[in-house]
This record gives sequence, C-alpha cells and structure tokens, in this order.
Amino acid sequence: MKTAMLDAASAAALGTDWLEAAVAPVSPYGERLFARRAPFVPGREAEAQESAERVAAVAQQLDPERLDAVRGVLAASPDVASVVARASLGETLDDPSLLELLRFCEAIERVDALLAAEAIFGPIGSEAVGALAGALAPGKRGPRGFYLAEGFDPALGQARGALAAAQAELESARGRQAERISAELGRDLAGADEFILMRADMPAALPAGVRVVREAATYLLCALELGEKSIAALERRESALARAGAAEESVRERLSALVRTHAAQLDAAAAALGELDVLLSAARFARTYQCAPAQIVSDVGLAFQGGRFLPLAVALEADGRAFTPLDVALHDAVVLTGPNMGGKSVCLQTCGFVALCASYGLPVPAASAQTALFDEIAWLGMGRDAELGGLLSSFAREVVRMQEIFERNAPRLLILVDEFARTTTPHEGTALCIALLERLRERNACGLLATHLGGVASGAGARHFAVRGLRGIAARPPAADLRAALAALAGEMDYTVAEVGADELSGGDAIALAALLGADGRFVNAAYRALSQ
Amino acid sequence: MTAGDELLDLASAAGARTIFFVGTGRNVGKTTSLRATYLAACRRGVRGALAAIGRDNDGAELAPAQRKPRIFVRAGTVFATARRLLARSPASEILALSRLQGASGPLLYARAMEEGSCDLAGPATASGVREVVAELQEWSDLVIVDGAVDRIAAVADSQGVIVIACGAATAHTPQEAIDDVTALVARLRVERYDPAKPALQLEGALTASRAAELVARRETRQIVVGDPTQIALSGKAARRALERLDLRCLRPLRPVAVTVSSIGPERSFEPRAFVRDVAAATGLPAFDLYAGERAA
Repeated sequence: MKTAMLDAASAAALGTDWLEAAVAPVSPYGERLFARRAPFVPGREAEAQESAERVAAVAQQLDPERLDAVRGVLAASPDVASVVARASLGETLDDPSLLELLRFCEAIERVDALLAAEAIFGPIGSEAVGALAGALAPGKRGPRGFYLAEGFDPALGQARGALAAAQAELESARGRQAERISAELGRDLAGADEFILMRADMPAALPAGVRVVREAATYLLCALELGEKSIAALERRESALARAGAAEESVRERLSALVRTHAAQLDAAAAALGELDVLLSAARFARTYQCAPAQIVSDVGLAFQGGRFLPLAVALEADGRAFTPLDVALHDAVVLTGPNMGGKSVCLQTCGFVALCASYGLPVPAASAQTALFDEIAWLGMGRDAELGGLLSSFAREVVRMQEIFERNAPRLLILVDEFARTTTPHEGTALCIALLERLRERNACGLLATHLGGVASGAGARHFAVRGLRGIAARPPAADLRAALAALAGEMDYTVAEVGADELSGGDAIALAALLGADGRFVNAAYRALSQ
Repeated sequence: MTAGDELLDLASAAGARTIFFVGTGRNVGKTTSLRATYLAACRRGVRGALAAIGRDNDGAELAPAQRKPRIFVRAGTVFATARRLLARSPASEILALSRLQGASGPLLYARAMEEGSCDLAGPATASGVREVVAELQEWSDLVIVDGAVDRIAAVADSQGVIVIACGAATAHTPQEAIDDVTALVARLRVERYDPAKPALQLEGALTASRAAELVARRETRQIVVGDPTQIALSGKAARRALERLDLRCLRPLRPVAVTVSSIGPERSFEPRAFVRDVAAATGLPAFDLYAGERAA
C-alpha cells in the first residue's frame, strides 16, 4: 500500500507495518495489486465505505475453512504474468512456463469451484482460461507435473518412436564394439570414455577401435573410437533427435500462439485473482480481529466506541493480558491528560489506527465508528523520530517534525501529539502547546494533544479529555515482580477517556506508580514529603 | 564387477539411499565416478535420481573449463536441474517446480523420457540440499549427488554415504595427493561424541587458530563440532589437529570409499601404486576407474 498519507515516524507509531502484514495477500497477483493501491483520501468516502462493507460482508458470509482453502489455492498459484508477456511478444514458451500456465488455469478452476455457492463472488474463469486449460490438459502429469506428451500431437509419438529406434541401434552398435574390446582386453569398460592400459597387462596389439591418448612409462591412456557402423548409427540418431525436437517445438509454438491470442483475458483473470486475494486477506483480518465497517463521513471528525490498537492488543493477548477498549469522539483538536501509564499514548495510537484502517478501506477494530478520511495522519511525539539522527536533541527533533507537518499543509489533518515540549520548562512547554493547538484550530485539524502540563486546554480554549486513572493504590507485589506489578496496575487503572472541565487537573498518580513499580520506601516517602511542601 | 558396482554395493551395505560424490579439487574424476555408479545402478534396474550441489552450469558465469560436464542419462532417470538449464529437446517430464533457487535460478525436478544429456543443478544451502534429496527420494530408489565438500553437512546424521575423489590434477606428487585425501577422509570420519565423557562444544567452526589454541593448552576433553564440515582445517593442519585433539561431532558423516584418477592435465602418477597407497593411507577401499584397479 502506498502510504503517502503518513511519514515514516507516524507509520511506525501507528503500526502500519503490523497492519500491512495482517492484511497481506498471499499470491503474487494480490501482492502486486496491494503494492499499487493507495489509501482513500477525502472525496472518496463512498468508495472507502463500499470497500469496508464488502470486506465485512465477505468476512461474515464466507466460512473460515473455505476462506483459508481459497487462500491456500491462491498462495500456491504460480505467477504467470511474465509468461503471458513473453508469449505476447512472440516467444515460444518452454515447458516449465507451460506447466505454470496449466497450474494457473487449475487454480482458477479450483477457486471458482470453492466459491461457486457464494453469491457475492462471480466466476474468475473465462472462455480463454477454459480454452487454455483444455489445450494444456494432455500435458498434465500427476498433481504437480507436465510433459509434452503425444496427446498434444500424434506426430510427436511418431518422431519419438523413430528416435527410440535410432537410439537402440546406436547403443547396439556401440555395445557390440565395447563388448568386443572388453573381451579382447579382458576387462569391463562399461561407462568409461577413457581408460588406462598398464603396459605390463597389454596384449601384443591394441584392439581395433582403441585410440592412444597419452603414453607414460608404465601405462597408456586410451579412448574408444567409434567404428563405421557406430558412426552411421550416431548420424541416424542425431537426425531422429532433430526431428523429435522439431515436433516438440511445433507443439510449443501452437500453445504459445494460443496464449498470445488470449493474453488480454489471461491478464484480466490474473488481475481478478489479485482482487480476490486482497479482498479475502482483508476479510480474514476483519474476522480475526472482530472489525466492523466505520461510517465514513465527509465532515471532519473521528469517533468510535470500543476501539482497539490492534498491535498492542495482540501483544497483550499473547502475554495473557487484555486490552481495554476505548471510546473517543473528536471533531477538533483537543487536549488529553491523565496519569503515567494511563494509556494516553495508546489512546492516540488507537485513534490513528482506526483512521488508518478506514483509509485502507477496511473494517475498523471498534464496536462502532464514524470517521472522516484524512489527507494526512501525523504523529508528533516521543520515541518515534530516531530517523532524524542523533545530532538533534529530542526537543529539536519535535520542533523540526512539527514544522514539517505544518509545511506539508495537508488539507485535512488528523494529528496525534504525544507530550510535545515535555523536555523544556513547564512554563514554556505549556505556551508551546497552546500555540500548537491554536495553529491546529486555524487549520481545522482534528486531533489529540496528550500532555502532563496544566493549563493547556484553558489557555488554548480547547476541549479537555482525561484518562480517569487509578481507582485506588494497588498493593505492591512481593519480590519486585515487574509482571505482577503491571498486572496489579492494570487491575486498578480506569482507562476510560472522558471529557472534563478545561481547568480540571488530572489525578497525579506518579508517586504511587513509582512505589508500585518497585521504588524503595524511603525514596517514595521523600517524594510524598516534597509534594506536600 | 565394475568399480561402479562395487561403490553401489558399499552404499547398499551401509543402508544408504543417497551417495554424495565429493572431490579434493577439480579434474579428479568425481563426475566419472558418479557416472560409473549411475550406470551400474541402471544396469541393475535401480531407479536412480541425480542432482548436483555447488556451482552449476551457468554459461554466462563460467568458462568452459570450469563448467561441470553434462551427464548422459537413461530414459526414466529423475534429476534436479535449473529451469533455464532444462533441455528443450528431447523433452523431459517435469515432475514439479521447486521454490528453491540454484546459481542458475529456480530449480525443478524432471524425468528423462528419452536418453540424452542433461545439466544437473541444485541449491547452495544445506537445508535446500536436504529438501532436494528428500524430493528425489520420492521418485527413486537411490539419489546420486555431484556434491561439494562444504555442502555435505546436508547428509550428516542421515543414511547417505560419501565417496571422495582425488587425483593427479590437484597435487604435484603422489604423496601430496595422498596427504590431501587422507586429511579430508580423516576429517569426514570424525566420530560422534561420547556423552559420557567430558566435552567442549564449539559454537561454529574449528579454525586453525582455535585448534592451535586448544593444542597449546593441551586440551584433553572431546572437542565437539556440529558436523565434520565445521572442522575448517586441511592438509597438515588437519592431520596434526586430529592427532593431538580428540575431535568429535554431533552429526557424523559416512565416507565409504575413495576413487582416484592417476591422470591429470599436467601430470600422471603410476596408477597401481597410487591406488594402493591411497587405500592404505585412508583405510577405505580405493578405486581407479580409468585403470580398472582397486585396493582395500
């Protein structure tokens, strides 16, 4: 997928690689199509909606076994694009290419048979595919093989019969000669082009038909020479071989001409396989991750209930933990606050991921969703901008990236800002965040600015959302078990995001979290004392 | 009985369904030995399959002198080759296309339907070689592989056996040729390690510098490598290391015979003495296919 709507840092933050792997097609046709496709952008809402609904319909209607069976056939289907192209240019195809075409036709027949009962799919096979499959059928050998058999043309059988006879005649002549020489020398020469005769064991005279290649003090290196009968038989054999070769080439030319005639339809069938592959891969994704089509709207906004950032949800599930689905409703640029480890960054990533899925024409990982399409989805924040190199400080990198986003000037921007200006003084950091929000409002951008800084929402006149935070202080697990601490934290954390008053302060749970994560008691008490002063 | 018959018998006695032919260098009669064994199999009605590993015949890359000779195969013989090396005429039956790549591109398995010459090819990796051998065994009783010493790890700990070719082409004197093949055979015959005894298992290859370090500190434990091809020593270094260290492996190989070619492009050795001395030095049966000599 050509993801020009995201820069590299944003793509990394939002799990684009993960998503593309999750919806990756399995056939070369699907891979080519997928690589050429671009996300849906504003103005193409109806197409994005139709795509997501079609994917969802396939995911719902096609049973998983059948879906996987079709994907298995697609995965095993050879790539015949270059074969068809070479035939189109007048090349006479070789046998491996003909085998690939045969397997391509068989794959189409198998896919059509598997999907015949499904009303949502039309057949991919065409008259051309049928004609080619029929023409290649005499060559089918077992489940994976091909032979330019006599069934293609009776002349092949005749030419091969003549070749076999000529070969037998040559072998007989050579065999008789080798047998005679072996008998005269008293040793078996089977399989030897050259052989050594020890002078001590040599007969008085070399047998007729033996040529000396090299003489040494104790032996002669010799070779067999063909006699007149053998030479005549060899000439007949070569002639028969040429006739058999011509007959074989004639069949290949006929089959290649058929491919040339039907090239356009074969290309269309290959393209249809690609479309099917992309569709089934998306449907498999939607079914696996319980995705539903979002309502794609033309007004700026992003809202979902039960949204999930799938790369993290899958990782948590593998670790025996669960992702807490999120509800978010945005139509402008707002502020998000909350405690450390309360899921602010994940909330941003979930917004970006849901919007990304929608722009790919996929159902989204949410119970329900409504979203616009965006020209750019931008991530601005922590830990995702190493590509700018080590010469810039983290603050400098943020500023450079922010300016780049401004200069790209995407008409419709979804921006996800994770603790911008956190490394400067709180006073100036707050001012920078306010300025950023004002600029985003001028641009009519949609997004979230997550921060620990107070006074940003009121200063910018922006709506303020907050993660609810810890319900209580979890008991510290014994023996500094980090996994247990994280589990205890997850149990006590309320990840719900809700709109709050502009000046409302988020719960400050950092010291309690430090204690839970294993900071020693003296340190924690000192922190609480300092806080109270 | 021909040398090919005797090599077949040795493989059969070892319960092998694969024979790898490797050489101490070029022009030492490896392909001649392979061909003789293949023809002996054909005469006995054994369904043979052929493959090659290492470099194959890519005309764009190799000078004629470097190219492997084509093999004349009987009808019914199964072989592995590259798609681009498959002769158009006489047409062969393609048994399957492989996802593996050789030096000349994607590989396939074919069966000769008429007698004729073919180019053999195979993958460069040990896992690829194992896959090719396993595929060929589906269609044959015996797989004969034109091998390369650095790729025979693929047959380690399997039922395959190895035949080693040596000859006058790669040595200035008979003794030099004998030293080379003796060192190679000794390396390939390194035994399986004894789990009841102390052992030092190496990660990766045993190099000359590592061997020198172990000798210097008078290491008495078993020195264990994955398979004998990971002993990256040759000639005198290999011989000395084998004398002074208790080298062992996890997955042994099974060399069963040596073939000799007493004639080379630039020199030749006295055949009868050469085959006798090679057999004595290596402790394996030795055959000179050109002279019809054997020694054990």
